[in-house]
Amino acid sequence: MRTVSRLGTLRVPRPRARRVSRPLIGLLLVGLLGSFLGCSSRPIDQRSRGATDGGGSPEGQSGEALVPFDVRPLLKPPRKYLGAALDGAPESLAPVRDFAARIGKQPNLLEYYLEWGGGFDPRRVRNARAASALPVMVWEPFEPSIADIADGASDAYTRKFATAVRTANLPVVISFGHEMNGHWYPWGTEATDPADFVRAWRRIHDIFQDVGAANVIWVWSPNVINYLPDAPLEPFYPGDSYVDWIGVVGYYTDSGASTFPTLFGPTTAAVRRFTRKPILIAETAAEPGPRKRRDVADLFAGVAASPDVIGFIWFDHHKRADWRIGSDPSALAEFKRGAANGLFGFDVKQI
Amino acid sequence: MTGGGRFAAKRNGRGEVGDPWSPAVEFGPGVDPRLQPGQGHAAPPSAGLPWIPQSGWTAAPSWRRTWVSRAILLGILVVQALLSLRLRNTAFEDEALYLYVGHLQLDQFLDGTPGSLGFTASFSGSPVLYPVLAATVESIFGLAGARALSLVFMLGATVLLYSLTRLLFNERAGLCAAAAFATTQSTLFLGNFATYDAAAIFLLALAAWIVVRTAPNSAILACLLAAPVAALAVAVKYAALMFLPTVVMLAALAVFPHRGWGGLVLRSILLPAVTAAILAGALALAGDNYLHAVRVTTTARAVGNADPLELLLDCLEWGGGFLALALLGTVSYARREGMGEVPGLRQAANRGRRWRLALGLLLCGTALLAPAYQMHLHTGVSLHKHVGYGLLFAAPMAGVGMSRLVGAHFRYPQLAILIWVTLLTLGMTQSQNRYHAWADSTRMIATLESQLKPGGRYLVEASSVPRYYLRAETTADQWASTYAMTYTDRTGRRLSGERAYRAAIGAAYFDVIVLDRTVTRELDDKLVQQLGTNGNYRLLAKLPYRNSHGSGYYQIWVKR
Repeated sequence: MRTVSRLGTLRVPRPRARRVSRPLIGLLLVGLLGSFLGCSSRPIDQRSRGATDGGGSPEGQSGEALVPFDVRPLLKPPRKYLGAALDGAPESLAPVRDFAARIGKQPNLLEYYLEWGGGFDPRRVRNARAASALPVMVWEPFEPSIADIADGASDAYTRKFATAVRTANLPVVISFGHEMNGHWYPWGTEATDPADFVRAWRRIHDIFQDVGAANVIWVWSPNVINYLPDAPLEPFYPGDSYVDWIGVVGYYTDSGASTFPTLFGPTTAAVRRFTRKPILIAETAAEPGPRKRRDVADLFAGVAASPDVIGFIWFDHHKRADWRIGSDPSALAEFKRGAANGLFGFDVKQI
Repeated sequence: MTGGGRFAAKRNGRGEVGDPWSPAVEFGPGVDPRLQPGQGHAAPPSAGLPWIPQSGWTAAPSWRRTWVSRAILLGILVVQALLSLRLRNTAFEDEALYLYVGHLQLDQFLDGTPGSLGFTASFSGSPVLYPVLAATVESIFGLAGARALSLVFMLGATVLLYSLTRLLFNERAGLCAAAAFATTQSTLFLGNFATYDAAAIFLLALAAWIVVRTAPNSAILACLLAAPVAALAVAVKYAALMFLPTVVMLAALAVFPHRGWGGLVLRSILLPAVTAAILAGALALAGDNYLHAVRVTTTARAVGNADPLELLLDCLEWGGGFLALALLGTVSYARREGMGEVPGLRQAANRGRRWRLALGLLLCGTALLAPAYQMHLHTGVSLHKHVGYGLLFAAPMAGVGMSRLVGAHFRYPQLAILIWVTLLTLGMTQSQNRYHAWADSTRMIATLESQLKPGGRYLVEASSVPRYYLRAETTADQWASTYAMTYTDRTGRRLSGERAYRAAIGAAYFDVIVLDRTVTRELDDKLVQQLGTNGNYRLLAKLPYRNSHGSGYYQIWVKR
C-alpha cells in the first residue's frame, strides 16, 4: 500500500486479507436471485404432484377430475333403458357384445351383484362406460346385519367405497338391499326391522354425500307385493331425498301373474301413494316354457305403455331356472322384435 | 486525486467558506501558504513541497455515485417485483368485484349499457377511477395484467420513497428505506393484487414526494401541485383521507429548514385549504351517493367484533420490526443530525433537535394510524393492507435507522444485512400466507361453468368471483351471495336475511347453490341441512379446497 505524505511516498506493509473472489460473489448473487424465481407459492400438494392439464380429463388439485360428473340428465332419460344382468359382465365386455348381437341392440344398463364388504372395482364402471351403458351395482348386505350397519359398524368400509366411487367420476347406479320386503334375505322381513333398514340406507347415503360421491343414482328396489301382503312398502322407504329411482323386482312365472298390469300394477300403485319417483323394472325375466314368448312381448308392451316406467333389466342368468333369453329361440326373436323399437335403448354418453 | 480529472468536484470556482464542500477547519499561521483549504483541488504545487489533500475522496455528487446508487435501486425493484410475482392464486372477491364493476362502467361509457347495481353507495373508493383503469388493462392483458398494474404502482411508490428519503436525508438512507419498504408483507402483497390500494399508496407517495421536492427553493404553487394528487388519492380510496394530515405536516416540516416559520405557516394553511376545496368540489359534482359511501365505508364504518388485542398482535407481526427500526432511526436522528461521513461537512441551518424529533415522530406516528383506527372499530378486515400505508411514511425513518446501524464508513454492514434479511424473510412468508388466505377457485368455477344455462340463477357464497370469471356468459342479476339477499315470495311478502334464503330454497328459486363455510358459516350449515331434506335439490359435488386458515369443501347443489 502506498501512502503519500509530506515526507514523500511511503510503502507500508499491510496484513494480507483474504479476499473472496469475484466470480464466487457473482455466483452467490445469481443463486440468490434464482432461489426467488424458483420459490413458487403454489400450495404444497400441487407442487409435489406437478398436476398438469391436457389430455383426457383435465386434472385439478389432488389428482381428481376438474369437473364432477352430473347424473341428473340420466335420471329422466328421453327413451327407455334396456338393461341386462349378464354372467361375467361388466368385468368383461364379451358377454355384452354377445348379448347385443343376439338381441340386435346394445343394452345400456349392466347389472351385477356385489356382496357388502367387497371392494369397488373401477374397471367395471369404465367398461360399462366404454359399452355406452350404466353399471347397476346390486349391493347385498349379507353381513353385518342391517341394524349394525345402521349403527355405524361399516362406516369405514362405506367411506372408502364412496371415495373410490367419487374418484372414478363416472355414473354408478346402486341398489342397496334389494327385495327388502321379502323374507328370503337377511336384510328382509325375517331378520330386519323396516326402521333399521331406513336408518342404514340413510346412513350410507349420508356418508356418500359427506365424501362428495354425488355421481351415484340410488335405486330402492322392493319385490312385487303380489305374494307379500303382510309387508307394506312405505315403512321401508327412506324418503325422496335419498332415492332417485324405484326399482321393482318381478318375474313372469307359470303360476303367477302373466300380464304387465297384474304383475307390476299393484306394486306401482302402492309406491305411487308415497312417491312420484321414476320406476325401473330392476330385475325381470320370464320362466322357461311355452308362455315365455308371450311374456316377453307383454313386458315390452307394458314398459312402452307406462310413461313413468323408465325401462327394465333382463335377468339373463341360469339360476334355479334358465331365465336366459337365448335358451328359447322364439322368445329371443320376440325380444329382438321388441328391442328394435326405437323407444328402447340409447347411448348414455350422448345424454 | 490531485487537480482536475473525471472525479473532480464541481465547485463554485472560489472554494470559499460557504461552499458546502469546504471544511470548517482553517489552517493556522505558519503553514505553507501554498496549502489551500479544501480537498486537495488547489492549484498544482510548485516544485519541491508535496501538498496534502484534506481527504482521499470526495463526497461531492458524481456520475459514478449516481449510477451505482441507481443500480442498487434497480436491484431492489427487481427483488420486489420477483417476490410479488411469485405469489399465485385465483382472483380474490375484492379484485373480482372491482374488475367487474370496472367492466360495467366501461360498458356504460362505451355502449351506454346501464351500469346498474348501484355500487357507488357501497364502494370504499370511486368506482369510476381505479376500477375503470384496471378493467381497461384487464380486457387486454387479463387478470395478470391488472395485477401487474398494481405492481407498477408499488414499484413507483418505492422509487418515490427512495427519492424523498434522499431529499430529506441522504443517499444511503434513501436506499435503505427503499430496501426495507420493498420487502414488507403489504408491499409484496399489494404488488400483485388488483385493488385500488396500490394506486392510493402510489398517489400518497407522489404527494409526499412533491411536498419534499418543492421544499428547498420552489414557489408555493409548486408545492400546491401536491393538492390535486392528494385529492386524487382520496378519490381513489376514501381511507387515504387519514393520511392527508401527514402529508400537510410533512410539507410544513420539510420547508421549515429552508423558509423558516413563514414557509411553514403558509404551507400548512394553503395546502389543506386547496385540497379540501378540490375534494368539496368533487363531492358536490359527484353527488350524494359518494357522500353516503364515504360515510358507510370510512368515516362512520360499522363496528366489527374482532378482539383488539389480536388485531394489535397481527399489526406487530406485519409491521412491528419495521416500526422498531423506524423508532430507532427517530431516536438516532434526534440525537445527532449529521448524515454523512465527510469530515466537517457544514450542517444545514434550522435542523434543530426539536425539528428532527418532530419529523421522526410524525413519520413513525403515521404508521400507527391505521392499526389504531381499526382497533377502535374492532375490525380486522383488510388490516394487512392498511398497515402498508403507514409503513410507507415510516420508511424514511427506517432507512435512517438502518444506515445509522451500519455506521460511518460501513463499519457494521452485517447489522443492516441481518435486519434486511429478517424483514425479507418475514415479508416473503407473510405475503404468501396472506395471498393464500382465500382458496383456489379453479375447480369450482369450472363446475359452475358446466352448469350455466340461459336465465339461470346462482347462489354462491362469494358470488363476485364466479360472476367475474363467467361474466361473458352471465349477467349481474343472475348472481346472489350469502351475505345479504331480499326475496319476494309467492304471496308477495318481502323477506330478507335467513328467511329469504330458506324461502328461496323452498321455492327452488336457484338453479345452482355453492356454499363453502368461509364467511357465513352458520347460515351455510342451516341451508345445507335444508337442502339435504328439501327434495328440490341434489348434491352435485363436494370440492375440497385449502387456504391459509385450513381446509374445507365447496358444496355444490343443483336443482333436481
